[in-house]
Parts: sequence; structure tokens; C-alpha cells
Amino acid sequence: MKRSRLDGPAHRNLLYVLPALLLYSVFVFLPILAALGLSLSDWNGISTPVWVGIGNYVALFSDSRFYLSLRNNAVLMLFYCLVPLTVGIVLAAVVWNLRQREQLALRTFFFLPYIMPTAVLGIIWAWLYNPAFGPINRILRGVGLGGLALPWLGDFTFALPAVGVVAAWYFFGFCMVIFLTGMQRIDPSLFDAARVDGATGRKVFFFVTLPLLLPEIRVVLLLTVIASIKSFDLIFTMTRGGPANATLVPNIYMYQLGFELNRFGYAAAVAIVGAVLIFTVNYLIHRFVRPAGEGKA
Amino acid sequence: MMDKASGSLTAAKLPLRLFLWLFALSTVFPFALLLLTSIKSQPDLLRGAFVLPDYPHFENYVRAWVDGHFNVYFWNSIIVVIPVVAISIVLGTISGFGFAFLSFPFRRALFVILTIGMMVPTEAFIIPLYYEMRHLGLINTYAAVIVPQIAMSMPFATLFLASAMQQVPLEILEAAVLDGASRPRILLKVILPVILPAISTLALFLFIWTWNEFLIPLILVNDDAYRTLPLGMLFFQGRYTVNTPVLTAGAVIVISPLVVSYLIFQRKFIEGLTAGATK
Repeated sequence: MKRSRLDGPAHRNLLYVLPALLLYSVFVFLPILAALGLSLSDWNGISTPVWVGIGNYVALFSDSRFYLSLRNNAVLMLFYCLVPLTVGIVLAAVVWNLRQREQLALRTFFFLPYIMPTAVLGIIWAWLYNPAFGPINRILRGVGLGGLALPWLGDFTFALPAVGVVAAWYFFGFCMVIFLTGMQRIDPSLFDAARVDGATGRKVFFFVTLPLLLPEIRVVLLLTVIASIKSFDLIFTMTRGGPANATLVPNIYMYQLGFELNRFGYAAAVAIVGAVLIFTVNYLIHRFVRPAGEGKA
Repeated sequence: MMDKASGSLTAAKLPLRLFLWLFALSTVFPFALLLLTSIKSQPDLLRGAFVLPDYPHFENYVRAWVDGHFNVYFWNSIIVVIPVVAISIVLGTISGFGFAFLSFPFRRALFVILTIGMMVPTEAFIIPLYYEMRHLGLINTYAAVIVPQIAMSMPFATLFLASAMQQVPLEILEAAVLDGASRPRILLKVILPVILPAISTLALFLFIWTWNEFLIPLILVNDDAYRTLPLGMLFFQGRYTVNTPVLTAGAVIVISPLVVSYLIFQRKFIEGLTAGATK
């Protein structure tokens, strides 16, 4: 970087960044390093930690519950990413054709869930899903579909999709707004050109809109994949990983191992694997989902 | 340019628009139902999920506020949010200035270390953080919830404000340097007024993140007297599952400050949150 006119001697400059860095180091960065170290040891929270090297990671390889949590996370990813992405992009393409004022009104509605605390949304949806007095089952019974009134969050098969639906509901409006913003960036003459060439609405969408929205698609993928790996609040408040681990994901497993079973070293290893997954996904998406013809981040 | 789009869908495809609005209402529906249920009595509730009560039972709110300790949770949330937002902005402005304009040893390495903190989820380091706070004797204090959240917002606050400061026209800064103004003075009198929009966007982010934070108070606080709203809501649910109207009244108390500020600063919310994401 070019030297700024505001630059001064290094020891004076450091004073500016020191308070923030110090606070960050003590309460974030050191704990991250400590988690790395802890993941290489065996610790029940009381006695002295015992160094076990990569023992915890080796044990994870043959831990069927850990695999289950990864599998559940993969299923949840469909609801966190694929559904909101698809719904969001289709909605954006339709909303785009409306008058400006109606666009803004719809945007306000669609975006609403995204500002809410996911923990509280989990509690609200647990009530909506409640088998006995939840509104969802009451509606189903009311319209004569009582047979479909399942104990959603208590059902082995449906608990995971039921949690997933909430995640999809939380994200799709956010995705739509990002795509809508992206479409404002596209040069309108491109649409006109495509129409002049005889492309119909659907063709314009697939061959003009979609490729040009690649930067936004990448952002949405990045955010939602990471959110799905991070998922904790929603599941903790809705099912706590149950019934019988049907909604167990790595972060919930980490919580159970650490704060319920006092296996802190092993729990830290699970948490570190989650963080590594996030870094990997971040790298892969940056590396492979690229807007055509441009290399900038 | 806007008009090329309009018209093509107005009257011709009414069913499509209707469908769109139904979709939009699906986001509001749970909240509307929440609001409706919160003013019902238990017998009202038994008569049906969508039946209006004979008169609004605001006593549910009183019960949630007093018996449900939402008064405590609400004040705790405010006591936590204000210092987190204020201190994060002050420290972020100062360090953002450092990263935007100043040179110091290990600048790049420190930058990378900050970015790492933005990517690693809190869950990954919550165990060591818990023991650190315990060692410092801070479990079950406001500091346990406030200090880590300030630390956690440092990377984003610093990088966000640094990039805002780099947009400040160089001529203004150079003119101030030539005038002989000191650096703190330049930061305060020249840069700060220009980046005020960025600061308000950041304040909004920090407000939402802190108001909605769940894991930090879940792990670092187990005394009801220090719980913030989302946590209070969880433990309240454990005690009052059967009394749905009071539970929903509690939920309304948690989300209403968010909804109200969303409706007031709608544009800022949507544009800020999406721009923050696309950065």
C-alpha cells in the first residue's frame, strides 16, 4: 500500500489498532487456538487435560453419531441453500416485472424473517408444529386432512424436513432481495436485445438473467452453506437434536459432548471439524463459482 | 427505464401476482398468528386458532412481563446491546482508521488473523471461552455477555469501517494534514462526518446481532437475573408450555423492538444487510 499522508511512526500507529486487537485476541483468537489445542487432548473439565494427539480426530472417523450429524447437515443444506436459492431467484424474476412500488412492498414482507432471532423463531415454529394444539395441525384437521396432522418435530422421518422448512422460510426472502438487487445492476438493454432476437420470457431468464446473476448466486451459496454448517439456535430450540438424533448436527453434537457429557476435548474436535468445513466451503465456492470472464473476488 | 418493466405483468397475469402475494403473506402469517394468540384467553384458544377473542386479553402481556420475568430479560437485553454497539463502534472506528491509513509491523498478518475471526463460528471456541470467563470469575455477570460480543464484532467493525474510510476523498484528508490538524482531530472532525452513513449501518448490524445472540448468553450465563430476551424466551417456554397465550405474548415482546425498528428503517435494514452480505 502507498504510504498515506496520515502515516506516522509505527509505535504511534500501533496505538490505534491495539485496543481492538487486544480485545479480539483475548476473547476470540486465543480461545480459537485453545480449542485447537483442546481438540488434541482428553479433558473432562476438572482434571488436567491429557494430550492424545490426533486421537480425537481418529475416533471421530469411526463415530457413527458424528457421521449421522454430518448426514443430517447435508440434508439440511438442501433446505438452507437449494430451496431458498431456487425460490428466491424465481420470485425475483417475477417480482422484477412489477411496478416499483409493488416491488418495494413485497420486498418488505419477504425480508421480514431474516431480521428475527433464529432462537425465537425456533420456539415460535415449535408452537406452530405442536401436535396437539399447534395451528398447523389444527388447520390440517379443519380442512379434513387430519391424517396428515403428524407430530412433526417428534417424528423420526419428518423432524429434519420440518426444521429444514423453517430454515428455508427464513432465507428465501433474503435470497430474493439479493437477486433483486443483482437484477438492478444488469443493463436493461441486454433484456431488450434478447427480446429483439426473439427470446421468450423463459429463455431470457435462463440465458440472460441467470448467467448474469452469478455473482449473487455465489454470495447466496456462500452465506447459506455456511449458515447450514453453523446451524445451532434453530435446532436447539426446536428439537435439541432429537427425536433419537434425527436432527443431530455437528454443533448440537458438540454441545452435548461438551456441556452435557463433559467430554470437552472430543467436543472441541467436532467444533474444529465444523470450522474446517466452513473454510473449505468458502474456498471451494470462491474457487469454482466464478462469474464468467472476470476474476475479481 | 423502470417503466420498461412495469405493465408487462400488471393486469394480464393476475393469478401470478396473487400467488406472489400469498407467498409474501406466508412470511408474515406466523407473526400475525402470534399477535392474535397473544391477546386471547385460554378458553378462546380452544375455540379455534383463528377465532377472534371477545375482547383483547392484554393481561397475557402483564403476566409475561412480570411473572415471566420478561421485564428482567428486556432490560438485560438493553443493558447488553447498548455497550456492545457503542464500544464496538468506537474501537472499530479507531482500529479501522489504523488499518485504512497507517503502517505498522505485521499489518498483513494481523489483517488475516482478524479475517479468520470473521469466519470461525462461535461454536468452535465456546468451550475455551467458557473456561476463560470462569477463570476470570465473570460467569453470571453482564461482562460475560458484553465483553466477548464486543471482541467478536471487532473484525467486522474494523474491516467495514476501514473500507468506508478508504472511500473518503484523499483531497479532503490532505487538506486537513496541510492545515496541521492532528490525527485524532482529522479522524473526529473530517473522517467521522463523512462515514456517518456507514457507522449507522454498522450500528444496525450490531444491534440485530447482539439482540438476537443466543449461544453466548446460553453458555456464559445460567442465572436468570442476567438472561437476555432470546434466552429468557427459551427458559420461559420450559415453564409455560401449556399457557400458549402468555408464551406468544412473550414472543411478541422479544420481536416487537425488531419489527418496529425494521418498519422505521426498512430501507436501511434491507440495503445494509444485503450490501453487508455482498461485500
